[in-house]
Amino acid sequence: MNLDSLKKKISDLESNAKTEFGSANDKSELDNIYRSYLGKKGEVNLLLKSLGSLPQEKRKEAGKLLNNLKGDLEKNYALTSSLFNDKANLSRLEKDKLDISLPGFSNKKGSIHPVTRTIRDVCDFFERMGFDVEAGPEAEIDYYNFEALNVPEDHPAKDMHDTFYLNNEGLLRTHTSPVQIRTMEKSEAPHRIICPGKVYRKDSDLTHTPMFHQIEGLVVEEGASFAQLKGLLNDFLTDFFGEEVELRFRPSYFPFTEPSAEVDIRWKDNWLEVLGCGMVHPNVLKSVGVDTKKYSGFAFGLGVERMAMLKYNIPDLRAFFENDIRFLDQF
Amino acid sequence: MQFSKNWLKDFIDIDISTETICSQLTMAGLEVDGYEDVSSKITGKDSIIKLDITPNRGDCFSVLGIARELSVINNLKLSLPNISSIESSFKDDIKVKACAEAPSYFGRTIRDISINSKTLPLIAERLKFSDQKLIDPVVDITNYILLELGQPLHAFDRDKLRGNITVRTAFNKEKIKLLDDQELVLDDSCLIISDEQSAVAFAGIMGGKESAVSASTNSIFLESAFFKPSIIRGKARRYGFQTDASLRFERGVDYKIQEIAIDRASTLLRDTVGGRFSEVTSSILKNQLPKQTKINLDLKKSNALLGTKISKQVALRYFKGLGFAPESLKKTSISAIPPSWRYDLTIEADLVEELARLEGYDSLPQLSLSPVYKKIELNSQSHLSDLLSSKGFNEIISYSFISREDHDLFGEGVTALEVENPISQNMSVMRTNLVSGLVSTFLHNLNHGQDTQRLFEIGNTFSLKNIKEVAEKNTLAGLMYGKVNKDNWKEKAKDISFYDLKGVVQDLLTEFKGPSTFENCKIDFLHPGMSSLIKLNNKILGFMGSLQPSYLDRLGLNEDIYIFSIELDGLEKNVLSSYKDFSKFPSSSRDLSFIVNKSIASSSIENVIKSSAGKFFKDIEIFDVYEGQGIEEEKKSIAVSVSWQSAKLTLKDSDIDFAVERIVNSMKIELGGELRV
Repeated sequence: MNLDSLKKKISDLESNAKTEFGSANDKSELDNIYRSYLGKKGEVNLLLKSLGSLPQEKRKEAGKLLNNLKGDLEKNYALTSSLFNDKANLSRLEKDKLDISLPGFSNKKGSIHPVTRTIRDVCDFFERMGFDVEAGPEAEIDYYNFEALNVPEDHPAKDMHDTFYLNNEGLLRTHTSPVQIRTMEKSEAPHRIICPGKVYRKDSDLTHTPMFHQIEGLVVEEGASFAQLKGLLNDFLTDFFGEEVELRFRPSYFPFTEPSAEVDIRWKDNWLEVLGCGMVHPNVLKSVGVDTKKYSGFAFGLGVERMAMLKYNIPDLRAFFENDIRFLDQF
Repeated sequence: MQFSKNWLKDFIDIDISTETICSQLTMAGLEVDGYEDVSSKITGKDSIIKLDITPNRGDCFSVLGIARELSVINNLKLSLPNISSIESSFKDDIKVKACAEAPSYFGRTIRDISINSKTLPLIAERLKFSDQKLIDPVVDITNYILLELGQPLHAFDRDKLRGNITVRTAFNKEKIKLLDDQELVLDDSCLIISDEQSAVAFAGIMGGKESAVSASTNSIFLESAFFKPSIIRGKARRYGFQTDASLRFERGVDYKIQEIAIDRASTLLRDTVGGRFSEVTSSILKNQLPKQTKINLDLKKSNALLGTKISKQVALRYFKGLGFAPESLKKTSISAIPPSWRYDLTIEADLVEELARLEGYDSLPQLSLSPVYKKIELNSQSHLSDLLSSKGFNEIISYSFISREDHDLFGEGVTALEVENPISQNMSVMRTNLVSGLVSTFLHNLNHGQDTQRLFEIGNTFSLKNIKEVAEKNTLAGLMYGKVNKDNWKEKAKDISFYDLKGVVQDLLTEFKGPSTFENCKIDFLHPGMSSLIKLNNKILGFMGSLQPSYLDRLGLNEDIYIFSIELDGLEKNVLSSYKDFSKFPSSSRDLSFIVNKSIASSSIENVIKSSAGKFFKDIEIFDVYEGQGIEEEKKSIAVSVSWQSAKLTLKDSDIDFAVERIVNSMKIELGGELRV
């Protein structure tokens, strides 16, 4: 074989292959044709093997020509093949079409109880202000629930709390304030704490349940003032309700604060009581050994259910403890 | 306390709307519960104002006290109602004797009264507006004075008294029959009024039945005394009642008003029932009367606390208006003696509150508190709730007290803490676990058509360690019932099984440090073959399982209810402390199937395989458990996929073959297991 006859063969092979590629009816036919030209035993390889019969000086040029042919045909194959793929994909797209309006396979979602949700909301705000979240026992003793909070035995202020007594001479805490005392006992001032939890009072009617939740906050620092208390509660209530609310501070009485105040918010033309607060009574600070010359403090307490009722427009307090899933699922 | 608005006009010349009065009182710390416009037959337009008075303001349990507050707020002059001097026609032959607990005692006899006279219309109307029942003119007048001046009075039938009057502590077990017919057995912590024979009244609380004024009374003995708050406090409550008198005495009555009150009552009695009046007889122990001590106030300090700039002049004016005797001291200090009707003022902070009150809480300045940096600890409780909620669980909150029956059913025999004065028997035992709350919530929801439920609760449980000590534990428990998933248009969901429950529990446990294990357990309310103890770090953490069939019968249910409970106290959160490198070489795995006795726990098989699979062992997964056709009875087939991997090289087939051989041998020797081919 000489170079010219090789060139002729290459040119024939090229035109034949391209014609055949173009006439293939589907991908697998195309692939068969591809193999017959470019496979291990394909025509191009056969030609490559025949190069040995060429004179030494011509082999290089011939090799180059064959490689060009190979590259050329590969390109042509790839192009033809992609046309087939596009076609196949198009038909698959058509075939796979779904009714996307059918519902997805989702599982039922659970929920976090509105009381827990509200406690989280409140604690989040105070944690951002640098308060520690503290907890304490619900089965308390008189000392922490009353005496250390400046409520002596037989004091009429005890009438404000209808207490459940326990068969171990203890009681169920009537407020979360004992946590204040326990915290101040175990660590040194300054303090910024927030104490959420269950409290119990012997009361059951439309607007009272014998168990409910309270959150109590305490700040004991140098220079803690009533003005800060007002500012803090204003910021808190704005944060909680997500908009500016109108507040009213009015004098009230708690044995453990002096001065004491009740905070009302303007709600649909009425004033609604939402918080009790005041400057920590010096007797309370003294009972836990806080230096009242150096430190002053303020405390506040709120009813969680009440806040949740306002925030989510829940009309009936008892819904919180009935735990109807139709109610819970909304949170 | 409720009263007619027009009554205030007896003390102050006030002419402002009821609404304004109410808002003034509220802002002064006397919370108004509401008011109601009424029409008076005598005074025309009127309103009934209802107050909710805090225990510190005993002085406001009278129209006088409320008028006094309004007089300071509106800068009005306060005057007492008409008290004319009574002409006495004889000297009382009763002698009275005060004591330390009753240091001021006034009395007077009035003879030949007409008990059948009618109570004056104005008095009758005001009593009615104050929700006070009309009884007879004498009692009506004592009630009237109580509301008007805040001084409780008592009228005895003079002819039923035997000799002189003494105020003394009761003897132990001394008996008295009260006006309302209840018989009390007193002790020496109680104060009584006694004649020369026996107790005739429970001092400051209620009069005795025997000496009570009746329709046939001809003469009365009128008592106006001061009893110390400390001796009255808690006494009536101890016997389960409270009276208008005890309410006032225990909060503190003005110790200087007794004489005024007896004179005022005498005036009204003379105008109503007539009669002959004796001189007033009295006994006063001056040095036993409450001592109003001087309180010093540093204005600079209180201004700092309130954030105000109240001047000394203004402060002095406020205190004077409130009935103090204020004095200006050096620099920024003031001293003041509180008035005889205020028992709530003893320390500087009390005076600070008075300043704040008069300044108006609303006008006090407001300052934002600056945040301080604090590391916020991860709250694993919230994390667990979120995890469960994303698995379809609804969080519930149930009462911490349950019924005795529920405790007997679900209490695991633990000694419970009990409520001594429960609101009902259904709420008398403190729960020792959360199961009964979950079950009753489940039943409520089942009755409302929820046939698949997942519930959980996080709350404290209580038990008695000994007679006094309580173990209070933070516990998480959950309940599963119904289907695993929701049915959908393509497939029906499966029923929940024990393994769905265990899966939830295992996912929860990955939140905590340490290996978890499960052991069979015996808990009364759980199915013995479908329940397990939950252990972490070899410590019992809780239990899980399906409710006993007999319990299901009792609840009228056929399908299983699954329950788990985990104690949360003391668990250490699983935090990633260091990343672990993973192998870059491929892992190889083999599926092996063994025939073993039914009774062999899969965990034993896992353990045998783990310990015999060699050093390249990576993981084991059970992918099939089969009993039935093709397998001998008493046997089961268990199929596992075991994988191996090296951190340093690609494992050869021969390495794996060797390991498999060892596994097969160990299974045979240790568990009698045969490789299924």
